[in-house]
Amino acid sequence: MKFGMRRVTQAVACAMGLLALGGTAQAANWLKLQGTERPSAVGRAHVWGFIQPEYQYTKDTKLPAGTPWAGTGAVFNQQRPDLSSNSSFNVLRARIGVRGTGFPLDDKVNYFVLAEFGNNGITKPSSAAAQLTDASITLNQIPHARIRIGEFKYPGSEEGLMAIHVFNYINFTNVTNQMLLERHFAATTGANPHPYGADSANEMNAPVGAFRDIGVQVFDWFDVGDWEHTYAVMVGNGNGINRTDNNNNKDLYLYWSSAKIFGGKGPRRQDWKTYAWYESGKRTIGVYSGSSLSEQTFDRKRYGIGTTFLKGRYRAAAEYMWGKGMIFNGTSGGAVPGTVATGGPGAGSSVAYFNVNPNEKAHGWYIDGGYKVLPNLELDLRYDQYNRNTKVSADEREFKTTTVGAQYFFNKKSRMLVNYEFRSADAPNLPDSANPNKVLDSIDNRLSAQLLIIF
Amino acid sequence: MKKLHVRSLAWLVSLCFALFAFQATAATASAANKVEKKPFAEAHVALQISDGNPFKQTLVLNVAHNLLKHYGPDKVDIEVVAFSKGLRLLFADNANQKRIDALAGAGVRFSACNNTLHHMTKLLGHKPKLNSHAVVVPAGIVRLLQLKQAGYTVVKP
Repeated sequence: MKFGMRRVTQAVACAMGLLALGGTAQAANWLKLQGTERPSAVGRAHVWGFIQPEYQYTKDTKLPAGTPWAGTGAVFNQQRPDLSSNSSFNVLRARIGVRGTGFPLDDKVNYFVLAEFGNNGITKPSSAAAQLTDASITLNQIPHARIRIGEFKYPGSEEGLMAIHVFNYINFTNVTNQMLLERHFAATTGANPHPYGADSANEMNAPVGAFRDIGVQVFDWFDVGDWEHTYAVMVGNGNGINRTDNNNNKDLYLYWSSAKIFGGKGPRRQDWKTYAWYESGKRTIGVYSGSSLSEQTFDRKRYGIGTTFLKGRYRAAAEYMWGKGMIFNGTSGGAVPGTVATGGPGAGSSVAYFNVNPNEKAHGWYIDGGYKVLPNLELDLRYDQYNRNTKVSADEREFKTTTVGAQYFFNKKSRMLVNYEFRSADAPNLPDSANPNKVLDSIDNRLSAQLLIIF
Repeated sequence: MKKLHVRSLAWLVSLCFALFAFQATAATASAANKVEKKPFAEAHVALQISDGNPFKQTLVLNVAHNLLKHYGPDKVDIEVVAFSKGLRLLFADNANQKRIDALAGAGVRFSACNNTLHHMTKLLGHKPKLNSHAVVVPAGIVRLLQLKQAGYTVVKP
C-alpha cells in the first residue's frame, strides 16, 4: 500500500507539474453527454457514428528457447482481436447509433442506441457481425435524480467512461486493458470442445465488457458557480453486454466528480476535473480442481482516483487504480491461445489458453499529456504502469509502457493518429533467468496508425 | 333611496373594473402587436424559426449574433419570431437560454406564437413555461406579416 501511495503521489506531482507548465488533459462530463440531451433542443432521432480503420505492427519476436511454447508467436506481439499476425490492417471500430427523444415537445425522456460492426473484442468472441453496445432510456423527471436504464457505460475510470472517438491514443493503457476491460470466461469440458483444446478452461464466452453493464443508474450534476459536481450510483448485472446475469449478485458502481469549467462544451469542454470511482461485484465461473469442474463465485472490486485537465493547447490526465479479484492473467506461457506446447513436460499436448486469477490483486496508473503545436497537430506523451498479481510475489508481473503519439486533425470530425509504444514487462520478484522473465523479454515495441471519422 | 344609491354605486364600480380590465387587455394586445423600431437602426430583420430541428435553433441564434456583430447593437433591429415546432427555442429550460439572455441584452426581441402555445398546452396537458424574454403574440405568422409591413426583412435561416 505504501508503494501504491508513493506512486499516487508521483502521479499527482507529475500532473501538477504539467499543470504548472500549462499542460492538461481532456475533460468532459461523460455522464451528461452520454445519458442526457440538451433541454428543448433535441430531435426525434439523431443518427451518428464513427469508423476507425487502423494498422498495427510489432517485430514478432517469438517466445524464447527454454520456455514451454518456445519458437511460437508471443500473444502480446500479435494484433488483436484475432491474434494471428504481428502486422495487420483492421477496421477496429465501426459504430452507428441513434439518439434523441420519442416526443420532442416533452424531452424529459431520451434514448441512446449504438451498435458495433468493427472487428474487436466485442464482436470477435461470439463471431457476430454486429453487437449492440448501448441501448438505454433516461428519465429526467425527478430533480437531482435522473434515472438511466438499459445497457450503457457504467460510471468509472476516465479511460473507460470517455467517448472512445475522442480517445487520444490507439491502444488502452496496460492497467485499463488488463484490469478494467473485463473478459468473461467459462470453463468447458470434453463434452463441449472449443478451439483452444477440449480440456482447457477459461475460454472467453462473451464479448469483452467494453466498460458497459446492463442495469439502472441514478445520476445528476450540480452547478455551483464555475464548478460542476456530478454523482452517479448504479446497480448492474456485472455479466457483460447483451446477456442476462449468471448469478443473483448485482454489481454496485459509485462515482463522483468535481470540475472547474473554463469554457466550451461537449467532449472537448475545457475544464479541470477530479474524480473517484468504485465498483464491486461477484463473478461466477467454472473452475477446474484436478479434472472436476465446479461453479464458484468470486469477488471483483475495482476503484480509482484521477484528474483531467484541458485548456487551450494543453491537456493532461493522471489516474491511479486498484483491483481485487478476477485479475486477467494473460495466456499460458505468453503463447497464443490454442497453440500446442513445443517443450517441457506438456510438449505436443498442452494447449495454451486464456487465464484469470480469481483471488489476486493488482494496481496500476498512468500519466498523460498533450500539446497542440499547431491548430491541427497535437503531440502526445503517456506513461503507464501495471502491477498484476501483487498478492503472491512470485506471480507478480510488471508492465511499463511509454507511448509517444501525434494526432493530425483534418477537421473537427476526422483525424489521424500515429502511436509508438515502448513496451517492457518483467516478473520483478523472480530472477532474470526464470521462465516468466524470459517470456516477458520477448515483448516488442508497437507501432500503430489509425484514421477516425465521426459522422 | 339609500338602497338605490348603494346598488348604483356597485354597478358603477363594476363598470369601472370592467372598463379597466378591457383597457388593460387591449393595451397588452396592442403592445404585442405594436412594432417598436430602434430609432437609429439601419437594418430591420425578422428571423423566423418554425422548425423542430435543434440545429435550426443554433442557426437562428448565430444569425442574430452575426447581424449584431456586423451592424452593432444600435444599428440593427432584430426580432426572432418563434412558432410551430420552433417555439421550443423559447421554452424556459432551453439549452440555449444563456445565448438568448445575451442576445436580449443586446436588444434582440423574441416573440412566441400564442396559437402554438395553445396547441402545445393541449398536447402536453400543461402550459409550457416560456423564457422571460419571450413576448407572446397572437399568431407568429401574423407577427411576421406585421413586421414585413413595417419594413422588416423576413428571413428564415
